[in-house]
Amino acid sequence: MSAMVAKVVAAAGFTVIAAALSVRLRLGITREILVAALRAGVQLAVVGALIALVFRYPVLSFAFVAVMLTTAGVTAGGRVKGLPRARLRALISIALPALGATAALLLVGAFDLTARSGVPTAGILIGGALTATTLTGRRLLEALVDEAGEIEARLCLGDEARTALAPAVRRAVTTGLIPVVDQTRSVGLVTLPGTFVGLILGGASPAEAAATQLVVLLALIAVELSAGLLLAELTQRALILPGQRIAPLQIER
Amino acid sequence: MAADDDSEGMLARDLGVTLGGRRVLEGVSLTIPRGQVTGLLAPSGAGKSTLLRALVRLVDAESGSITLDGEDIRSLDARVLRRRVGFVAQTPAMLPGTVGDNLRYGLQDLTEEAMNDALQAASLDDAFAEREADELSGGERARVALARALTRGPELLLLDEPTAALDESAATRIGETLRGLRERGLGICVATHDRGFADAWVDRREQLQ
Repeated sequence: MSAMVAKVVAAAGFTVIAAALSVRLRLGITREILVAALRAGVQLAVVGALIALVFRYPVLSFAFVAVMLTTAGVTAGGRVKGLPRARLRALISIALPALGATAALLLVGAFDLTARSGVPTAGILIGGALTATTLTGRRLLEALVDEAGEIEARLCLGDEARTALAPAVRRAVTTGLIPVVDQTRSVGLVTLPGTFVGLILGGASPAEAAATQLVVLLALIAVELSAGLLLAELTQRALILPGQRIAPLQIER
Repeated sequence: MAADDDSEGMLARDLGVTLGGRRVLEGVSLTIPRGQVTGLLAPSGAGKSTLLRALVRLVDAESGSITLDGEDIRSLDARVLRRRVGFVAQTPAMLPGTVGDNLRYGLQDLTEEAMNDALQAASLDDAFAEREADELSGGERARVALARALTRGPELLLLDEPTAALDESAATRIGETLRGLRERGLGICVATHDRGFADAWVDRREQLQ
């Protein structure tokens, strides 16, 4: 049996085990497990084919990254619906730091200036920025609603709107950064992250895999912090009105 | 409501406010002179809170005018306006920390004497400064919020339903506090639907329809 066939058989086997457990224990999620597995298979097959096309025609990598960014912007924008022009603001918050860091990593020679290096690097950083943008945005909007009385009290005591919002902004940005900080702190001890595992399985030396993973993780911290800060800044610009007022907000929970 | 032409104090004329697409205030006028307690009387939901918030620019009035001592409040720095005109919300939020931290907020050079003066003006003991703000009862919060507003040295005070959810003795203490502040020359506006409180403690009435 070839390695490719063995992987497909193993994946199908694990799906059957999970579905059988769900049926046996009457968890009611059998259909979801099967649909999720099928979707993942189809999506990865399509992505694999597209990536192969991108490697063959490197100019397509720009279009591929643009699609990733658009999808990330729409996804994050949907999570911060109370914010005016949420998708655009989310897209900017994700794109600027993710593309900036990708360009920096390629230009300094940390990774080869090729589609094979650039697309996955951009993908990882866009994914991280998406997580930070969503978490920061949700936490900030919830704070603006839940802590409206406290923010109003600060305004009434003579604070500028930005000063009144500062505690909520700090907490939101911190919340958005927690996953990547925890991931970085526990790397190698609790989990072996994807880049490291992928490189090892692909035949790279452990030292090379570790160095690459370290660069990715530390880049992710900077990218995610920048994404959270950008979204917080854009949120404040949208909600602070003339006369040091804050626009009323309605959010979906 | 009739609006006087007296330029001392606050004067709102023909205010119109829309919130969330709904016209909350239309053609409302109000006078808050110094040295008196003005009762703003209206049933719940009539827009009293919105009117008070418009007076300190927490909400925007699209039509009409608001002046403080004859000067349009939109020409004033909003931070200065909110120090000159203190606003205490119906359910005042406490900031993290002690009562003292709340009173000192934004005023690093506030002296202990000034802090105690504000506490006493709000009928609170000096020792109250050490209490944790998030452990206070509703009535205590109302008085701490009042003291907190007083530390800014306001010329006018706007209080939104200060006796809501208070028992009679706590409401009486609030009334006595307001009377004491009036003697200091402050102009006070109390939005309330409590006619008994208004009968006992306000000098003049304005009715919001």
